Amino acid sequence: MTSAESDLEFIMSQIHARRRDPDFMQEVANTPRGEGLLSCIQCGRCAGSCPVGRLTLKYNPRRLIEMVNLGYKWEALFELSWLCLSCFTCIDRCPQGADVGEVVFALRSIAAKDGNVPKGALTMAKNLVETGHIVNPTASVSKQRASLGLPVQEPVPEVAKMAKKTGFSKILGLK
Amino acid sequence: MKYALYLGCLIPARELSYELATRKTMPALGVELMDMDGTSCCGPFAIQSLDYTGWLALAARNLCIAEKMGLDIMALCNDCYESLMMVNETLKRDKQTRDNVNEILSVASKKFKGTVNVKHTMDVLCEDVGLDKIRSKVTKPLNGLKVATQVGCHLVRPKMLHAGVGRGFEVLDDLVRTLGAEPVDYDDKEICCGGPLRDIDDHLSRTLSNRKLSALKRANVDCVVTACPFCYVQFDLGQLEIKSLLKEEYDIPVLHFVELLSLAMGFKLEGPQLREHRVPIDRIVRKLE
Repeated sequence: MTSAESDLEFIMSQIHARRRDPDFMQEVANTPRGEGLLSCIQCGRCAGSCPVGRLTLKYNPRRLIEMVNLGYKWEALFELSWLCLSCFTCIDRCPQGADVGEVVFALRSIAAKDGNVPKGALTMAKNLVETGHIVNPTASVSKQRASLGLPVQEPVPEVAKMAKKTGFSKILGLK
Repeated sequence: MKYALYLGCLIPARELSYELATRKTMPALGVELMDMDGTSCCGPFAIQSLDYTGWLALAARNLCIAEKMGLDIMALCNDCYESLMMVNETLKRDKQTRDNVNEILSVASKKFKGTVNVKHTMDVLCEDVGLDKIRSKVTKPLNGLKVATQVGCHLVRPKMLHAGVGRGFEVLDDLVRTLGAEPVDYDDKEICCGGPLRDIDDHLSRTLSNRKLSALKRANVDCVVTACPFCYVQFDLGQLEIKSLLKEEYDIPVLHFVELLSLAMGFKLEGPQLREHRVPIDRIVRKLE
């Protein structure tokens, strides 16, 4: 079996193994950035435009929308939504203005409420809340900045305060 | 012309050469840059995916700092630019969301008013300064240099968002031509570098940049120039990763567009700036001397 076939088999096994949640489509449409979902006509232009779709059958933006519309609310769907690059090619090409590239944000944020966040994104988010920045200079870079007369990048504690207020800290499992 | 300089977090931590080149070239073109005090991360796509309101507040807090300075923002990074611009436009338009965000901003003693605009360095160069003025400041034209450009998705897509600015993938080619170099076309030019999948799915991320790099190799270019610090990492550091993990070797120098501008304006790239490049750019610098 080629890797493309095994990707597809994985998707199909997931589909057959799950129950459908009829309210899921509405839930996504009511989440910020998710509303475009309702205009999708399943033409597949997004799938033909997607740079990730060219590399793996696992990710197909048209099918992602179809799965949501059919009510397949399962973990793998959320994991797949993280394979979107946010290059927004699909948004530019969608004849319906259905904004698939936007809908993934809604899917990810629904999953995040249940603590379903990829490790890489979680690390970025924790850095952000703890220091105000996702990437921080190393000690040697800080020294180099000072010697070049460049401003020092200070931690921003206000970010943690705001994160507490919006509930972001809770999503990340931080106090 | 005066702008509040928004550095973001990747550039001041990892890409000092980009920052230094910007600080040298912009004032020489009549653009005064003021440092912003106490800025945080802009809220890039990974963060937007987790907490929508939190993202709005995070970006708005940075916008408030520029509002207090009374200056429009110039962002060096595509992600910073698009994030700040999207939030700025959303909050200016939508009163209910604005009130909601201002309620969160109260813990940081800030209030979003909607009095400034957000621009990318590219816009400041091509619109405010203008290509004619840039041409007049070129002292060392980059004659004979074959350059491939990688604009980066978030400077041009989605089109609707950038409709007011009306730029496309040709914007960097125009700049390169102005500096005397020759922009070279290559396959998959408008395709993403794969950067956003770094740390999410490293294999896919590398496969994407590998495809782009092999297209660049086929186009036989002297170097590739990026307008986005993430595309830069993906190509520069990415070439080392691809060499060790995928056993493909490209050896294509990668430069920030402001570094190229810097060379054309006769500013030397100094030691630390050259050392920062994982794929050495000495041969480009030598070629132009």
